[in-house]
Amino acid sequence: MSGSQSSLRGANRALVVETVKRYGGLTQVELTAATGLSPATVSSIVKELLAAGAVDTRSTIRSGRRAQLVTIARRTGLAAGVDVGRRHLRVALADVTREIVAEQSLPLPAEHRADTTLDRAALLVVDLLERLGASLDDLLGLGVGLPAPVEPGTGLVTVRGVLRGWDEVPVVHVLAKRLAKPVLVDNEANLGALAESRFGAARGYQDVVYVSVGAGTGAGIVLSGHLHRGFGGTAGEIGHVQVDPQGRICRCGSRGCLDTVVGYPALVEPLTETHGALTIRDVVQRAVEGDPGCRQVVADAGAVIGGVVAGMAMVVNPQCIVVGGELAQTGDVLVQPMREAIARRVPLNQVATLDVVPGELGVRASVLGALAMALEATDQAAVGGAPDIADHSDTPAGGGS
Amino acid sequence: MTRFDAPLHEGFTGPHVRDGGQVVGTVGVGRRTPVLSLRQVSKRFGAVEALVDVDLTVHPHEVVALVGDNGAGKSTLAKVVSGVIQPDAGLIEMDGEPTTIGSPSDAHQAGVATVFQDYALCENLDVTANLFLGRELRERSLMRDGEMERVARGILRDLTSRIPSVRTPIGHLSAGQRQTVAIARTLIGSPRLVILDEPTAALSVAHTAEVLTHIQRLRELGLGVVLISHNLNDVRAVSDRIEVLRHGRNNGSFDARSVTQEELLAAITGATQVSRAHPLDALR
Repeated sequence: MSGSQSSLRGANRALVVETVKRYGGLTQVELTAATGLSPATVSSIVKELLAAGAVDTRSTIRSGRRAQLVTIARRTGLAAGVDVGRRHLRVALADVTREIVAEQSLPLPAEHRADTTLDRAALLVVDLLERLGASLDDLLGLGVGLPAPVEPGTGLVTVRGVLRGWDEVPVVHVLAKRLAKPVLVDNEANLGALAESRFGAARGYQDVVYVSVGAGTGAGIVLSGHLHRGFGGTAGEIGHVQVDPQGRICRCGSRGCLDTVVGYPALVEPLTETHGALTIRDVVQRAVEGDPGCRQVVADAGAVIGGVVAGMAMVVNPQCIVVGGELAQTGDVLVQPMREAIARRVPLNQVATLDVVPGELGVRASVLGALAMALEATDQAAVGGAPDIADHSDTPAGGGS
Repeated sequence: MTRFDAPLHEGFTGPHVRDGGQVVGTVGVGRRTPVLSLRQVSKRFGAVEALVDVDLTVHPHEVVALVGDNGAGKSTLAKVVSGVIQPDAGLIEMDGEPTTIGSPSDAHQAGVATVFQDYALCENLDVTANLFLGRELRERSLMRDGEMERVARGILRDLTSRIPSVRTPIGHLSAGQRQTVAIARTLIGSPRLVILDEPTAALSVAHTAEVLTHIQRLRELGLGVVLISHNLNDVRAVSDRIEVLRHGRNNGSFDARSVTQEELLAAITGATQVSRAHPLDALR
């Protein structure tokens, strides 16, 4: 009897924590409505969680009345992760325990411009801080991911033309000036690789290749647990490996790049006759729902990308290959043909079969990597040593991990 | 407690069926009957030519943006489709059938839901009451409150909204949350076409982000959406096609994925003039 009582209590506690996380900050009255629990239960659970250090409360005003705003407790400051995609902007805030406390994504126009997008990114970071009842003073730093090879120190795109409208924009400088906080910039596939190898599908592996498949294809390489960026930041830019010597000219200037064969708009082009104009999101949604044409296009893309990744794996010899990005949401529709293409290269599978797995972090991999990068940098600044993720494994909610 | 591995997917809930609505999915958009087709629609207010021979086509699963200067006729066109005003001339077809939209309730019957610039919400009523205003679910003369709350919660979840409680009075919500409620209201009664008049005007970036995400959801639910906006950035982010109105006339139709900001500005300001589209073009 008392066992089920206490497990009910535990379930209610978890529900309150989950709800606070989902909305960022809620008053106790709102929390009662959102969880469906009684005001007395919410009040006593909030007291308990407050004592356990899992939540913070502070006085606020809601519609003219004083109220208690409940937020997830933060361990000394927040970091922001910003993922700039070709058609989206995703911003997330996390505290130093790497707990995500606020998140929002914004659709972007094709060929969006650096000035507008960076302006919106900065405002979105401030809006999310406000949602939590925090201010810019609480922000320790920002990590930013771009869909192009970048120079980490300045955030300049190192290959002209691959991200139109962003050439010669020093992203680090623009955002640091705006928010007066340390800013780090990296390639989105590199950040996805970082996130998947730290907290995702490649946890525990030392040598990992992460492939991000979306409007363009890119890869991030982790060697002996460290991200390999290359001299000019172009390591893993498999979107610009030649797959068709007679193919189209790519926006980078070379001929027949992988992106000209399986990127947007080449990916959706074969579908226009039968399906009308589709976006990448549409193709993914329809492939998931079982549309044969869309599945065909995604599977064929998987086979071509698999061929390129097989070549890359021969060079890097990873323990596992993680597939992420928008198209990876189709699961095995994309991943199985990649797996088959890679299985055909005999030396790769000599010791053991080379695992090709879908990412665990989904389309959030890059923004999580950006957060990890920002937090590792602040750790280094704080302790003056190498970053160590394990140092922060204590759980704020007081529950098991 | 896990860290970075909370819910991963924002988008896809699989095939989506609404009562009376369509199953979204495997049929191509290319050849389908437009949910709305306006041909040669005109409207005068005295000497003011608000609309002159305007054509507009919207397919299911398509976001069509209407852009133009102040007074270009965008809102007038929205009012024609939502039955607030009647055109002087022209043909309106819904799902290929000639239709007369004589009043807002006609529009509702035909499956058109509109969000006007002022949201038209009641400050003193809660979220559920606003969603069902005038269309309350009843059993004999009793209101089915529990049922309405359940539907309200479901719709807000469908839109991935951040409104904590369906019992909060509208007066307590932020501008962005009100816009969310106004958009959610359009989904009551399974509409086929949603018209949004300046949904992101005067919203913060975070609220704009939420509203644009809602628009993407409406599209994924298989609805036709008409988006009226001044913000070309927002318009290009979520539209499939952009129709420019200038002085009450069509002045260009653009694929939102490939059009540049400059081309749009040129069409809006009249730097480029489009020769009158032949009325028969709409029949192709």
